Amino acid sequence: MKRMNYYINGIGIISPQRTFNNDEFLSEVAQYDDNHLNCVTPEFKEYINPIQLRRLSRMLRAGLSAAVISVRDSKINAPDGIITGTGYGFLTDTGKFLTEIYDYKEKQLTPTFFMQSTYNALAGLVALTFKCKGYNNTYVNKGFAFETSLHDAMMQLEKKASQTLLVGGYDERDDAQYRIHLRSLYYKTKPINNLHLFEHKTVGTLQGEAAAFFAVSDEASDQTWCRLVDLKMTFLPESKESLFINLTRFLSANGVSVNDIDFFVNGMSGDVKNDALLESLAQDELKNIAEVRFKHLCGEYCTASSFGLWLAASILKKQQIPAIVRFNQINAQSPIKTVLIINQYMGRNYSFVLLKSAH
Amino acid sequence: MQTVEELIPQIKELIIKQLNLEGVTPESFDSDMPLFGEGLGLDSIDAIELIVLLDRNYGIKLADPKEGRKVFQSVRTMAEYVKEHVKK
Amino acid sequence: MSQRVFVTGYGIITSIGNGAKQNFQSLINRKTGYGQLEILETVHRNEIPGCEIKYTDQQLAELAGVDVAEGFTRTALLGVIAAREAITMAGLTNEVLNTAAILSATTTGGIRELEKYYYELQDQSKHGEFDSFVDTGNPGEHTERISELFGIKGYVGTVSTACSSSANTIMMGADLIKNGTVDVAICGGAEALSKFTLNGFNTLLILDREQCRPFDKTRTGLNLGEGAAYLVLESEDGVKRSGKKIIAEVLGYGNTNDAFHQTASSPDGAGALQAMQTALDAGNVSPSKISYVNAHGTATENNDLSEGLALEKLFAGTVPPFSSTKPYTGHTLAAAGGIEAVFCMMAFQNNVIFPSINFTQQMDELTISPQKDLMQNVSLRYILSNSFGFGGNASSLLFASVDQ
Repeated sequence: MKRMNYYINGIGIISPQRTFNNDEFLSEVAQYDDNHLNCVTPEFKEYINPIQLRRLSRMLRAGLSAAVISVRDSKINAPDGIITGTGYGFLTDTGKFLTEIYDYKEKQLTPTFFMQSTYNALAGLVALTFKCKGYNNTYVNKGFAFETSLHDAMMQLEKKASQTLLVGGYDERDDAQYRIHLRSLYYKTKPINNLHLFEHKTVGTLQGEAAAFFAVSDEASDQTWCRLVDLKMTFLPESKESLFINLTRFLSANGVSVNDIDFFVNGMSGDVKNDALLESLAQDELKNIAEVRFKHLCGEYCTASSFGLWLAASILKKQQIPAIVRFNQINAQSPIKTVLIINQYMGRNYSFVLLKSAH
Repeated sequence: MQTVEELIPQIKELIIKQLNLEGVTPESFDSDMPLFGEGLGLDSIDAIELIVLLDRNYGIKLADPKEGRKVFQSVRTMAEYVKEHVKK
Repeated sequence: MSQRVFVTGYGIITSIGNGAKQNFQSLINRKTGYGQLEILETVHRNEIPGCEIKYTDQQLAELAGVDVAEGFTRTALLGVIAAREAITMAGLTNEVLNTAAILSATTTGGIRELEKYYYELQDQSKHGEFDSFVDTGNPGEHTERISELFGIKGYVGTVSTACSSSANTIMMGADLIKNGTVDVAICGGAEALSKFTLNGFNTLLILDREQCRPFDKTRTGLNLGEGAAYLVLESEDGVKRSGKKIIAEVLGYGNTNDAFHQTASSPDGAGALQAMQTALDAGNVSPSKISYVNAHGTATENNDLSEGLALEKLFAGTVPPFSSTKPYTGHTLAAAGGIEAVFCMMAFQNNVIFPSINFTQQMDELTISPQKDLMQNVSLRYILSNSFGFGGNASSLLFASVDQ
């Protein structure tokens, strides 16, 4: 790809922490004791008109609100394109339609749950809301869904300049999925407090959810949070060593070495098995770098790297690292300029995202 | 057998529930007010939801959606249709 | 430096055949996959027809060379079969696959298995064959299966934009090759029939109880189908190095959004027009040069009106031959773009234009009609292929022949 500059000029995020107000930054931290982390939601009618609002499921409301917040934050009128990523889509409406099929034996079914369960429903809804007729896509490849969306935005900006693309990541939690995935030990079998997630060296993680949108452009503005430099995805790395080789190649292709990183965002999920590679990197090759973690705040879901991106961008913009996310005793250099996010999903999907401060 | 006047508040409640019209009370919309376009502002998906509403609650099958335009003009026209076609 | 993107192979399985040969024979012999649903267990069996692939999951697993006990969903099985044919046709080695992209699309993924076992899976005390389907309900899973089975590790992506999905994978594959991220991209989609989609479309009142009739005055809706198809895309440099035979070029593409309604297209065809115009502009080809349009043509009242008007506007009176191949295969949702792209490749290779079966009466709103009969010995230079979906997603692909 061409070497270009990309900027994150607006963010809107609704998550299990109180994140929908960009003026606040983890001043209150929400705690959960039953392994389920649900979104802390604003008054949706501040972002969505009542006629649209009534038909929308909870996560569609959260997703659309996050999109509106990011557009308002970026101070653009409307985006030029919309790309969303999700792993499991709208689980509640999928479940409702499935249940209706079962309960009513395929008769007398209603269209709304079916329509709202489609993976691209949010991208379509945001396009409708902003009358955005430009590029529109939805990626659904599990732990790469958000990264692919971000990467696609970079490719579209490379093809056509002076645009702002809205890139979103969302996943919804529901009880049926929790029960199903207990079978494969995705989630902790005993309830724990989310803030103590990384103390329990056991299999399983916490079930989270969120919706986040980023206004990404090839042009900086007064609203710029940070620069998005590059990203790379690795599927099923053979070993930590091969993952680290990928990482060093990625960094050097962008003129950066491990020593230049001011802090890194570690996407460990609290599952001792799936965390093995990242934990080893953190204790070894990256041990001299300030470390930040986030999945104790949002839980694990396919597009959780979007929460990590919000966190990294917030730290770069505000030049402060909240104590609740710090994970080793190393202090980041001031001013904070270069940040690496390393995420993993289920020990299969690994991604690197490199950010730099706006100026 | 219910009268049209008895059916009207019942149908309003069903509409509010089926279409998830949060914040709308039965008192706040008139039984002769147009449901589609102006008035309550329902659309084509809502029309399908109303067809299901008639089927589930009154056993009435509206096979042709075009017939729906006449039936769903207002709560009153719906109530009149129900009174005429309801299956016990 | 932007590479040109060429098609060097393809694979396909639909209700009209397993593999390229069978599909082509069915197309030229007007043999459709339409009929009663027998394998999908649904109460609507006697009422709602479709285009079902008459293989059980066990038989598909045998064709795919995998063990069904490993939890391959029907969607994944169809994907594996089609992907294998594409890889073989394009002569891709393991080494090449290791750095290639796999971009697949689906709207259902493993929902067919999830709907069957939704309650059993939630009960920790129950065990059975459904244990292997514990995490197959999501759409990305089938692509990861294909990636792991064939060792395709360069880039793994899954698209779900309703009926335009696999057209979008072809665009992304082309973009990844043009900007040098990969040299080879396997792009398309897989879709199995399910109660979820059958009932979902039924609630929207757009399923015909008879065989669908695209662009016909009497059309009343679509027939659902199932299938999978992939194109192998390679870079210009890659093809020069290998000396491979090129089937066609991916010359341009357009992805736009109608932004009109969640499930309906704008009745004046604005969304469809924009997608096609964008594809033509990207390929720098004027409408008058188009030899054939493979329409989305689902036979719903809304789509065909919208698309028909868009064709009239775009081609300003001189509309090239166009047809919908959906009466053959049914509407295969996310796989449609890929399947129809493969049909476009067959059109180039055999100099044919496939007919729009079941068409008898022109629509009152249009001055144009689709191509009713098979056309042979036609010189095809540029083909446009349309795919429009819910959520306003509108995609159009522009292919060019390579006999220059």
